[in-house]
Parts: sequence; C-alpha cells; structure tokens
Amino acid sequence: MHYQTASWGNYVAASRNNGMVGVGVDPLERIERLASENAVVIFSISSCCMCHAIKRLFCGMGVNPAVHELDEDPLGKDLERALIRLLGTSSVVPVVFIGGKLVGTMDRVMACHINGTLVPLLKEAGALWL
Amino acid sequence: MFAGTGRREWSKEAKRVVACMGSQRIIGGGLGLSEAGPSTHHHHHVPSYGVLHGINTANPSTLINEGHAFNFGELEEAIVLQGVKARNDEGKAPLFTTAPRPAATLEMFPSWPIRFHQTSRGGSKSGGESTDSALSTKTEPPFEAESPMSKKATTPSLDHQHQLQHDHHDASRIVGPSSSPQNQSQAKSPHEKRKGAGSTSEKPLDAKTLRRLAQNREAARKSRLRKKAYVQQLESSRLKLTQLEQDLQRARSQGLFMDCGGVGGNLSSGGAMFDLEYGRWLEEEQRLMGELRNGVQAAVSEGEMRGIVDGYLSHYDELFRLKSVAAKSDVFHLINGMWTSQAERCFLWIGGFKPSDLITMLIQQLEPLAEQQIMGMYGLRHSSQQAEDALSQGLDQLQQSLVDTIAGGPIVDGVQQMVVAMGKLANLEGFVRQADNLRQQTLHQLCRLLTVRQAARCFIVIGEYYGRLRALSSLWASRPRETLMSDDNSCQTTTDLQMVHPSHHQNHFPSF
Repeated sequence: MHYQTASWGNYVAASRNNGMVGVGVDPLERIERLASENAVVIFSISSCCMCHAIKRLFCGMGVNPAVHELDEDPLGKDLERALIRLLGTSSVVPVVFIGGKLVGTMDRVMACHINGTLVPLLKEAGALWL
Repeated sequence: MFAGTGRREWSKEAKRVVACMGSQRIIGGGLGLSEAGPSTHHHHHVPSYGVLHGINTANPSTLINEGHAFNFGELEEAIVLQGVKARNDEGKAPLFTTAPRPAATLEMFPSWPIRFHQTSRGGSKSGGESTDSALSTKTEPPFEAESPMSKKATTPSLDHQHQLQHDHHDASRIVGPSSSPQNQSQAKSPHEKRKGAGSTSEKPLDAKTLRRLAQNREAARKSRLRKKAYVQQLESSRLKLTQLEQDLQRARSQGLFMDCGGVGGNLSSGGAMFDLEYGRWLEEEQRLMGELRNGVQAAVSEGEMRGIVDGYLSHYDELFRLKSVAAKSDVFHLINGMWTSQAERCFLWIGGFKPSDLITMLIQQLEPLAEQQIMGMYGLRHSSQQAEDALSQGLDQLQQSLVDTIAGGPIVDGVQQMVVAMGKLANLEGFVRQADNLRQQTLHQLCRLLTVRQAARCFIVIGEYYGRLRALSSLWASRPRETLMSDDNSCQTTTDLQMVHPSHHQNHFPSF
C-alpha cells in the first residue's frame, strides 16, 4: 500500500494520461494497483481457454471479478513479464488476486476452493455475501 | 561293441545316431568340434575321438553300417594309421583329390563302394566352388585343411558360417548309408588335421598347409564366437519375450488392452509406457488395499492406521504424477481413456474419474458419519462440482476454438492454420493436469474431513468400487456372444454371467 502513497504523483499522471504512461511506472506497481482496485482481479488473455474456465468458476460462485485482458492492454507484454517474474512459471495466465493479495494460478485457486479456503477469502474481500 | 543287427534296425538307429550327432554339432570342421553339444564338450581335447566317443555315448548300439558287422576299435586304429600315413605323405600330392588318396582311404573301409566316397568328396569339391551349397559346406573344412590345392578361394569362415546354419539341415539329410563315409572321413580328417597341427615331432609341414591350418583354426574360433553371441542374443530375446508376455497377460487380465483396433497404430511409446506403469500401479494398489483391509479387521492402532492411510494416499499422488508425465508425451491417450477399463471409460471425465460422482457414492457408502462430516462431504461435493463445471466449460471453449481454426480460414493459409491449431491443442495438457489436480485435492480433502478409521474405510470403498468396475469390464469382454442371437438374450446372458460369477473374481466382491 505504501507504494501508492510514494508514487502518488505518478499514479495521478498515469490516470490523467489514461494509459500513456511513461517509463516511470513499474509494471509490478501497476499490477499491484490494478489488483487493489477490485475485490477479485483476474489477469487473463482473451483467447486463453483456461482463463475462460476460471472466469466461469467465479461467475458460477456468484462473484463478479474484474478481468484485465493482457492482450488488449498496450503494455500487456510488460505486465505479463512482471507476472512471470512474480510467479516464477512460464504459463502465467490466469492470475487471480483477491482483496489485493495474490492467490495464484488455476492450481492454487482450485486447491483453495476444494480445501474450503476460497470462499472465506472471497467473503473477507467483500466479493461474496453469504 | 557294435553288434551288427538287421538292416531295418540299423537304419532306424542310424537315423537316431545321426540325429544325435547332428544335434551335438559333431558334424563340424576340424577344431570346430569343440563347439559340439554338451555331451561331447568334455571331449574337447580329443576332437576326433570325441566324434567317435560322442557316437558312443549317444547311441551305444550300431553305428551306420551297410549291413556288415563293424569293429569300431579297428576303425580307430585305422584312423591313427591313416594319420601317420598322412604325415608321411604330406609333401606329396593333396590328400583326397587324386587317385592314390582315395585308394588309401578305401583301404580303411573296404566294404564301401567307391561311389559313395566320391560323392562325398565330389560334394565337398563343388562346395568348394559354391559356398552356399548345403551338402558341401559341412564336409568342406576338413578336406580344405588337408588338400592345399583342392579348393579355389573359398574362405573357411564362410563355410563355418553356413555350417552353423545348415547343421540341422545336414542332420536331416544324412539319413542314409551315404552319410557314414562322410562322417567317418570327417572323423578321420579332423584327427589328421589335429595331428598335423599339433605335432611337432613329425616331418616339417608344408608352409601352405600350415597357413591353411592356421586359417581353419581362426575360422573355427570365429564361428565359435559367433555362435556364442548368437545364442546369447537368443537367450536375451527369449527372456524379453517372456517378460512381455507376462506384462501383456497381466494387462489383459485387468481388462486394459481391449481391441485397440484403429487406435492401436497410434499408441505412442509414451502411452504404452504409461499403460505398463499403470499396470504396476494397479498391482501395488491391490497390495495396499490388502493392507487397509487387514488394518481395519485387525483393528490396528491409530498411528499404524494413519501410516497405512497415508501410504494409500501417496500411492494416488504417485498416479497423478505418472499421469502428468504421460500427459506431456501423449495427452490423447489419457483423454480417450484407453489406459483404463471399459466400464471406467464409460464414466470418464477429462482423463479420469469425476470427483463429485465419487463423493456422491461415498456419502451413501460411508453411512454412519457425524453431522459435521456429512456437511463437509456435501460442501466438498459442491465445490468439486463448481470446479468441474468450470473446467468443462473451458474445455468446451477450447474445442469450439479448435473447430473454428480447423474449419474456417482459406486453404491458402493451411500451414498457419495448422500451427495455430497445434498451439490450441497444446492446452489440452493443461486441462488434464487441472482435472488431475482437482482429483488429487479432493482425495486429500476427504482425508482431512474424516477420522483415520473412516478414511481407511473410505479408501477401501474407493478401491472396491474401481475394482468392481474393472471386474465388470472383463466379465463384459468375455461374455458369451452367441446367446445374443436369441430373443430372450438378456436372460441368457445374465444366467451365463451368474454362472461365471462364482468361479471368477471372487476376491473383487468381499463384504466390507
């Protein structure tokens, strides 16, 4: 969170330029910013079928996730690279953030769902009611 | 020693003797006698006598005889004499190709007409010219050794090679009186050759003869080595074959290798490898099931039970690991379920069982459960269903996208189309992996929800369930088909099944 206050100026500039961000904005920061904007944030690629599966999973649970399609973002490549560095795997999408915190890729999300930790997490983030 | 008997009897015995000789590879050139069969290898040092003694041990009765009584002792003497004579005559004309030689030979065997002897040598001569002549090859080497001038360029090694191949052929051929002169002249000549090679006390040998003797020795040794290698190869192939047969038998008994038919050709090595590993996995699973059952019946301690349950769980982890490896090499093999039994294939979902179906079955079978546990089970089933739906929808989208790629687009862009399609197909592996991941997580969660003993019972139920599905598959595969022609076929097949049932697969249906 402290990133935001420190780079407040950058953030304001970025939002003003509406995507015409300069080299000043670190992709990782941007990821974190985007992740904290919504309760459930999914970084995806529009043509990826696994991303489609994860979207269906959340929708099936009654959650309304915010989806960022990296292939539709002009700086998507940078974000993808940053995510790869963050996660350490090459097949990076879909990536799920809940309540601003990183949950992981499909493996982790499904494991969390099966062992019953996903729903409490969603409720805590305010994405699910009852 | 060898009493002469009637013509009929000796011919029968002759065949036997000859067959023995043939099988013992006595019909070989010179030092090649050392490669004779087990019963004669102890005669290694006395090759020529070995032949005779081989015959002795093989069949103490009549040697091949034209009908006259034959004194073997005399033959031996004659051979020795002949050998001495040969040494003395070494510097002169070749042994068997000129007239004097045959005459000398004939002195030994006065009862045999000349023509038999000549055919044998004629055969050997022609064999000298054409090494692929069956008859000649077996008689070739001894004569070759003795007669420096007799043969054109024929290499002894080739002869030995053909000899190995034609040994049995020869044994079957020499079933008549004509064989005897050949045998005995062969018996004589190796002896001579040996004496020629070994003796240093005799007259100095001709350089050519020395060379020929050395070549023959070389050839004989080479063919011995070749034979050894060949036999070793045969042995290892035999072992491999029996192993493969066992694997196949095991797989068939578990109803795995149903008629692959069209897909048989597509069975990649990755898929075949996985099938074998899965077969072994099933065997181990049966063993662990036994442990579980024993543990439950014997009411072992909690700690011990925990160990057994954990063992079973990690065995399933191993299966998912094997499947993830197989998915990389042949994902279609996993998806089409050819590795599993027919009944299991019927309920296949993305390359394996559907976790929610399993939990539904378990909720019914593990009846006495605490309220909390029942809630937990229902919750698990619900989550599993949601995950399954998500994956199924993702897979549907993949299929749709693949169809669009393959069907759409201009033909001009064919290669690009295929490249794109291949890229999409690669996602299949991801779906199989996620499905297996879901199965694995479900099993682990089950263990967390239940007590140790309940978990043990749970795994026994699971193992039983799939064991019965496999049994059903093999019963189905072996059901009598003729009865399907009749009208009341259903009744008949059931009866047949019932008749079959008590005899097989009893171990698949114990009560628990």
